[in-house]
Amino acid sequence: MRKLLEITGIELKALVRSHTVAMLVFASVAWMVVFPHIAKGDGTAEGVRELAIHYSLGGVFALLVISLLASATGSIAKERTARRLQLTMVRPVRYFVIALGKMAAHVVVGAVVLALSCAVLAFRAELGRPCNHVLKPVMPSPQEEAKTMYAAYMADTNTPVAVRHARKSVVLRLLANRAVDRYETIPPGTVTTWTFRGDEEGALEGMSGLAVRMRFTNQFEMRQDVRGVFSFGSLGASVSNITQAVLTMPLRPVEKGDGGAAAAERGAGELSFANHGKTALMLRPRRDIELLLPADAFWCNLLRAYAEMVSVLALVIAFGVVLSAGLGRPVALFVAFVALTVGEMSPSVIEQYPDELETKLVDRVGLAITRFAADVTSPVSSLSPLERLAKDECVEPHETVRLAVSNLVVLPALLSLLAAFVLPRKQDEGQ
Amino acid sequence: MTGEGIIELVDVRKTFRDFWLRPTVNAVDGLSLSVRRGEVFGLLGPNGSGKSTTIKMILGLLEPSAGKVELFGLSPRSVEARRRLGYLPELSYLHPFLTAKETLGYYAGLCGIPRAESRDRTRQLLDMVGLADVSSRPVGGFSKGMARRVALAASLVGRPELLVLDEPTSGLDPISTKEVKTLVKALAKGGMTILTTSHLLADAEDICDRVMILNHGKSVAEGKVGELGTSLEEFFLAKVGDADSFKLAPFLSQSEATTTRSENEEAARDNRD
Repeated sequence: MRKLLEITGIELKALVRSHTVAMLVFASVAWMVVFPHIAKGDGTAEGVRELAIHYSLGGVFALLVISLLASATGSIAKERTARRLQLTMVRPVRYFVIALGKMAAHVVVGAVVLALSCAVLAFRAELGRPCNHVLKPVMPSPQEEAKTMYAAYMADTNTPVAVRHARKSVVLRLLANRAVDRYETIPPGTVTTWTFRGDEEGALEGMSGLAVRMRFTNQFEMRQDVRGVFSFGSLGASVSNITQAVLTMPLRPVEKGDGGAAAAERGAGELSFANHGKTALMLRPRRDIELLLPADAFWCNLLRAYAEMVSVLALVIAFGVVLSAGLGRPVALFVAFVALTVGEMSPSVIEQYPDELETKLVDRVGLAITRFAADVTSPVSSLSPLERLAKDECVEPHETVRLAVSNLVVLPALLSLLAAFVLPRKQDEGQ
Repeated sequence: MTGEGIIELVDVRKTFRDFWLRPTVNAVDGLSLSVRRGEVFGLLGPNGSGKSTTIKMILGLLEPSAGKVELFGLSPRSVEARRRLGYLPELSYLHPFLTAKETLGYYAGLCGIPRAESRDRTRQLLDMVGLADVSSRPVGGFSKGMARRVALAASLVGRPELLVLDEPTSGLDPISTKEVKTLVKALAKGGMTILTTSHLLADAEDICDRVMILNHGKSVAEGKVGELGTSLEEFFLAKVGDADSFKLAPFLSQSEATTTRSENEEAARDNRD
């Protein structure tokens, strides 16, 4: 532990005395203070929140990811170039401790700068503002739904030959993607039901402060009047002449005469919507309908979002240090930024080009590589703590703990072992 | 001297390879040596003879391509072997933003020395190398000789049993050189085993008990300094020769011819005048 602290300490001193930390603190705090004043919002309170959280704090986070990744890729490589690394390597210190110490120093810097930025945000935010847990309806997984659809396709004699002869795994993946975006139609005068399940069976209906959030569309993809009634146990909400793209309706107790009998017919955790409008409504059940449960206050959410961001930073830094152990600085820097860019872009590339039935080999290879990059970088790229913070959605504590354990402890430890494996080999090659 | 082997190299080879793994240089070729506890062993040789490569294999910084390297009967990369080792590189390679005190404290920490003891040891060593007055100045602003002294102190901070010195007097003025030689002798007298390389044969003659001369990665001679029967320099030149030295003759004759021509032209000008 003492040796780890020594290496962390010396790296921290290097970062402080090279004015890296001062520059980061200055740039981050200035961005947090100045940006909300110079950026123009859409005039709504949500817009202001979006600017303050997503763009200000998000900007600082992006700055930290880029600058600390760049610094981490040089942490060991520049020591090796300056021949100082050999003086550390001949001391009785295990090589993985060298890598861990470098990682820890960068994480400390990132955590401090991010904490200062969050403090600036907290200074002007409504700290007591409530946030919500977001529940999705209970449905079979897209993969299960894909299997059912695949069986139906194969049984259907009209299915094109190309699909029949395509690889099963490819068709299943396409169908799973389609299942996520599958629309459900609610014809006028009908009732559609979805089931929600909380942590404890049957406890949802007893909770106060519930709300439902829906995103309706129609076959012309135009906004239109939505009329109907939401019912959830003894709670309900009426909707009429609403034209917003997204509806967030608080569920309130309804009179027994209004819906008591219907409520008794519904099972536990069932939410229904009766379409009283004149046209059919459409929504994607996996994306467009959510039950909002009251959670804790904004400041708790901010703390969890902070912890998630630090854990993401830790993983990015650990990656940079491993590259630094095995490559020269320019190459490590190049690889790190290519990986960062590909990791950031690959989910949207896959979303825009989902068709794996491409006939050209180069397209298939390209998509396979992109999918691999998306899978590998998903622990970083799939996180959206700031988006949830801006939308008052709870950054779930169990998710935060899981991320902290994996990104701050397990993965950096494994990556430092990898760095320890690479370090003497690169030293050998570099002579 | 107990005769116990501290460093053992058996038929060690090191071949450097390029990116495509094609061999480029055979830096060390079938080298065997043994350094016993308490002796001062000198590794001598012309530039490119494989001294630094040999030292780096002994330190565990390079992996031999073939053969066996042992330090205290262990792999040089084992933590236990490194715990008993001190190393002074050819150039000082210090962290420029650290002060002399912090530098020694850092290396003491890596050696696992408790903080209180580390403070005393740091003070004592800085005093020994004559840098107590500037101990709070960043070493980045030190002269080459001062940085060398800090590096020497850093190599001793872990109380090593084996001290590896790569060109220990490089960059030092004559007074400091003499002091370093006195220090090395004192450390050896105290029972420390020392492996050193040097280009300065007079220095090696002063401090080494035994020397090995390397040329083209091979041992060309080995023996006790007192039993060579001649000066180390003569012995060295006899063993290594001047095959790889500068080819000065053509340059000197050309230079001589140029000088003579200009002298003749000058004389002719004087005669015309």
